[in-house]
Amino acid sequence: MKLFVDDIERFLGRYSIGRDSNPIDVTGSLHFLRIKVPGGLLTTEQFRGIADLVGRYGRERAEVTDRQDIQMHWIQAEDTLDIFSTMESLGFTTDMCGQGFSGAKYGDVRNIVCCPASGIVKEEILDGRPLLTSLTGHFSGNQDFLDLPRKFKISISGCGADCTRAYINDLSFVAVRMGEDRGFTFLVGGSAGVSLPGPRLAKPTGVFVKPDEAFDVAVATVEIYKDHGNRESKAKARFKWLIETWGVSKYVVALEEKLGWALERYDGPIFERRNAHEGVQPQSQEGSWCVNVPLVGGRLSRREMEAIASLADEYGSGELRLTPTQSIIIPNVKRKAMVLKRLARMGFPLHGSSLRWNCMGCASDFCGKTSSPHAKEVVVDVVNHLESSFSDELLEGAGLRIHVSGCFNDCGAASVADIGLIGKQIREGDEMKQVYNVFLGGCGGPEPSLGRLVEENVPTSELKQWIESLLGNYDKRRKPLESFGEFCRRHATHELKTLTKGAEH
Amino acid sequence: MKIAQEQRPHIRKINEHCYEIDVRGLVCPYPQLLVMRVLANLSSDDILEVLVDNPPSARDIPKAVGDSGHRVLDTSRSDASAWRIVIQTERQ
Repeated sequence: MKLFVDDIERFLGRYSIGRDSNPIDVTGSLHFLRIKVPGGLLTTEQFRGIADLVGRYGRERAEVTDRQDIQMHWIQAEDTLDIFSTMESLGFTTDMCGQGFSGAKYGDVRNIVCCPASGIVKEEILDGRPLLTSLTGHFSGNQDFLDLPRKFKISISGCGADCTRAYINDLSFVAVRMGEDRGFTFLVGGSAGVSLPGPRLAKPTGVFVKPDEAFDVAVATVEIYKDHGNRESKAKARFKWLIETWGVSKYVVALEEKLGWALERYDGPIFERRNAHEGVQPQSQEGSWCVNVPLVGGRLSRREMEAIASLADEYGSGELRLTPTQSIIIPNVKRKAMVLKRLARMGFPLHGSSLRWNCMGCASDFCGKTSSPHAKEVVVDVVNHLESSFSDELLEGAGLRIHVSGCFNDCGAASVADIGLIGKQIREGDEMKQVYNVFLGGCGGPEPSLGRLVEENVPTSELKQWIESLLGNYDKRRKPLESFGEFCRRHATHELKTLTKGAEH
Repeated sequence: MKIAQEQRPHIRKINEHCYEIDVRGLVCPYPQLLVMRVLANLSSDDILEVLVDNPPSARDIPKAVGDSGHRVLDTSRSDASAWRIVIQTERQ
């Protein structure tokens, strides 16, 4: 029998769909589609094209992910060739979603995360977009890199702030200054997930490379992972396991051997600050503004997508940028007052503290093993509650970051948030109950740390009060200018537990 | 991009009314699309045996086959990392 496969063959290696499966809360979705948007950069024409797909195939709902992708659910396999064809014409590909396989195989380079204010942020050290473009072009659909032991995550930060969560990527380029030179240092082996050896912050390599050398470093690093990553055990297959067992020194030696040249040492600072790009900020281009629209949880309807695209056409330059905190930037805005007014009318007010821009939730309703309320609902609920309970000044001073994950896989990066919530189900009598483990004090930026498990099994119904009490005590007991994260790291776990037991504010 | 030779869906005629397709190594949605395409080319009561190692596809193929009116006669592990799904075609 001869089988016509040309129409399928053209999409292999560049397009796939992933598995949705929540045995507890059945959504009716069997598959998600994760559209890679390199660096989150896209035009309004592309965004409208995706909105159209969302309307036709995704029940009118899209999700901006923490890797600057756009994710859709309820995708039917029989619709995929039409979807892939449209995506191809729009210039997009997808994650390859090979992790459904049982072994350590079919991993790919995931959407490369890049500073969402590249080229427009004031006092930028380096624009990461040339590196983003060259790496995306090299890895996308490249058969040599479609059978890595597991997925491989790359980030590029050019602005001096940790806006890409560099510490939980496999390979993170961070722009730095060395004397008169500007280039990248890089970190390796980070990951928030529980796969062995557990959550790890990426380790600094202590190396400086010129901008045009970074491409070769990235390709050589992925080749090292491909050749030496563990293929015996899926649990040990992420790059962090190789870095943990080798150590950074051995990796750097292997990298130099592969590159064929000696790497320059770097012992300067990595990040200048932690957060960046919240709210409305003046750009490096005189008279232009960068308007960051906080989505809180990252969900958008088709109509909202179309309305945001219209705003970007009318008041901006027809460009949009997805952020690694599940929000969306309208760059190059000239008449910002009009944009803010229209956004407020659409349900996206931009006033208040920076909390709205610094919170995330994973899509646990589709892939977790937990029941409602799910991560995205929890993050919206907690943010709204804190904003109604505390002043903007307090929340701003706290510099609070809240991440919520539905399960231990921690797709919501709870381990690097000031307040990280990781959901699970526990048995109580004959019933299963939805609870969250609470981690405190995690952060990226100049002084990175993983959050500490402070309380286990907090019922969902008690989460808001638990956090409110802790924040109330922070308000009463903090040192001058002390952020919430610093406050948490100053206190022992048993002290923090006590501080969740009520406070006046 | 072309399917690598070892990845090409291998269709084998076992006997007059029995075929086998090997879709191991392919991610979703391709195993399901290929299986449905083969079924559309078979005669009523023909047998198609599917070898698949992608767990989501092993879940989805029996459902899609059933929804299309064909019969899944058996689903079993062929080894530690793969499944064999036996389907009988049915023409309305």
